[in-house]
Amino acid sequence: MAEICYEVVTDACPSSVYESTPAHSRRRPRFQTVMHEDWEKNCKRSKQEALATRYSSIPRSSREDFSDQNVDVSSPRYGVSSVCGRRREMEDAVAIHPSFSSPKNSEFPQHYFGVYDGHGCSHVAARCRERLHKLVQEELSSDMEDEEEWKTTMERSFTRMDKEVVSWGDSVVTANCKCDLQTPACDSVGSTAVVSVITPDKIVVANCGDSRAVLCRNGKPVPLSTDHKPDRPDELDRIEGAGGRVIYWDCPRVLGVLAMSRAIGDNYLKPYVSCEPEVTITDRRDDDCLILASDGLWDVVSNETACSVARMCLRGGGRRQDNEDPAISDKACTEASVLLTKLALARNSSDNVSVVVIDLRR
Amino acid sequence: MLAVHRPSSAVSDGDSVQIPMMIASFQKRFPSLSRDSTAARFHTHEVGPNQCCSAVIQEISAPISTVWSVVRRFDNPQAYKHFLKSCSVIGGDGDNVGSLRQVHVVSGLPAASSTERLDILDDERHVISFSVVGGDHRLSNYRSVTTLHPSPISGTVVVESYVVDVPPGNTKEETCDFVDVIVRCNLQSLAKIAENTAAESKKKMSL
Repeated sequence: MAEICYEVVTDACPSSVYESTPAHSRRRPRFQTVMHEDWEKNCKRSKQEALATRYSSIPRSSREDFSDQNVDVSSPRYGVSSVCGRRREMEDAVAIHPSFSSPKNSEFPQHYFGVYDGHGCSHVAARCRERLHKLVQEELSSDMEDEEEWKTTMERSFTRMDKEVVSWGDSVVTANCKCDLQTPACDSVGSTAVVSVITPDKIVVANCGDSRAVLCRNGKPVPLSTDHKPDRPDELDRIEGAGGRVIYWDCPRVLGVLAMSRAIGDNYLKPYVSCEPEVTITDRRDDDCLILASDGLWDVVSNETACSVARMCLRGGGRRQDNEDPAISDKACTEASVLLTKLALARNSSDNVSVVVIDLRR
Repeated sequence: MLAVHRPSSAVSDGDSVQIPMMIASFQKRFPSLSRDSTAARFHTHEVGPNQCCSAVIQEISAPISTVWSVVRRFDNPQAYKHFLKSCSVIGGDGDNVGSLRQVHVVSGLPAASSTERLDILDDERHVISFSVVGGDHRLSNYRSVTTLHPSPISGTVVVESYVVDVPPGNTKEETCDFVDVIVRCNLQSLAKIAENTAAESKKKMSL
């Protein structure tokens, strides 16, 4: 642990950070202070002590909570960090399913990653975590889908997920939120969903809401999703075309209420708040990693900064060594996700923060 | 589905005026209640120059006593107001005029908490009113009145009207659009709860 942190600090001196993030030169003093402090604490104290010192009330979910399969040789390398932060309730959820495949054809390994940021309560995000990957699996016609087929698969899965959270009857969510004690369905609870299926040659991303997927390619961020904010011109047109309106209250909100224009659930705001995902399909190349995270991260950390942090943790962005131990890569991804989470909290993110970092180096 | 236009509500932005449009709309929709003076009396608001007011009407297929038992709980508004996460009574006993409560709002909404005072609790006329006296939100000087009325058609008609300051940077129409969404959602939840309760009562009586 200490060795890894020490290595990261040695390799990633402040000047190299600035070189890769010229756009943030004005914020150099603050950035330097934050990053240096974080790394120093990591090196000088145990992780637990550091967390207790700086974020005493933050429960960190264990890695095992997110994945129900053992890691094998062909599994992807990934790390997860998901924290409550300053908000009192945890309404984020993360789902990871390595070697997730269509039962009709399991010839090629595919891996599922999802981040769900709930609002109003946690149970819609919890149900997405438990069900959305199964719906995607059911909708897959084969492991070799083309672009149109992937879009259809994702759109159908999200629509089915949205219908499931509206019908309360066959709930599989454990009773861990107050809504479960009430018989009427809660129309005013929802969740974002940013989902990625990684195949040997493609990265499929389906996004609904304002969580985000960013590919780190040669140290540069490539957005694979676009946030669904109500004032995005095409979203504004769609909402107004449906008879709704966007009111700037403290930020642009659908009917003044919801700060995102698409979500799973939120039945009371249909059809203005749609559950239709935007799907992107990207060919894999010599990529560094993929970052999926909730807006608790993206509201305070730019794509560029997130990519720099992740790349540094992945051994400076070099090609993965042939004999590199898979465990080392997992740790690097975990360190990247933890560092990003800490950075978000240090920058006063007031939300839950969930980060998944997936090593895409071949 | 929530319509943005307000067929069942009216907006007034004059000084110290009654809400003739709302009353006329109410009486037109429920002619058998046109003699009821409760609505006119309690839904007359003093509206200041930078304020707006509006009203939402909800029909509920349940007896008025069932609906009232939910609405009158000043200490437990989250039973039907699903945008509220919790409520604590911080002054008085929660059952008398002058009581104070602090409510916390669920995540995702543009508010965190609200401190509210019970202004009217009339069990005979089925009237409850509260005003917002503090909290972390942008709705200053909010005052709400809710009245229940028996309806031969549906069982109960709920009328909730309010008056509130227009926040800086917003228009009166925007403010009413926003508050109407919240109030309408609350009253729709109330309808579901009361109708479920009434249905369960009928089942028990038939045993």
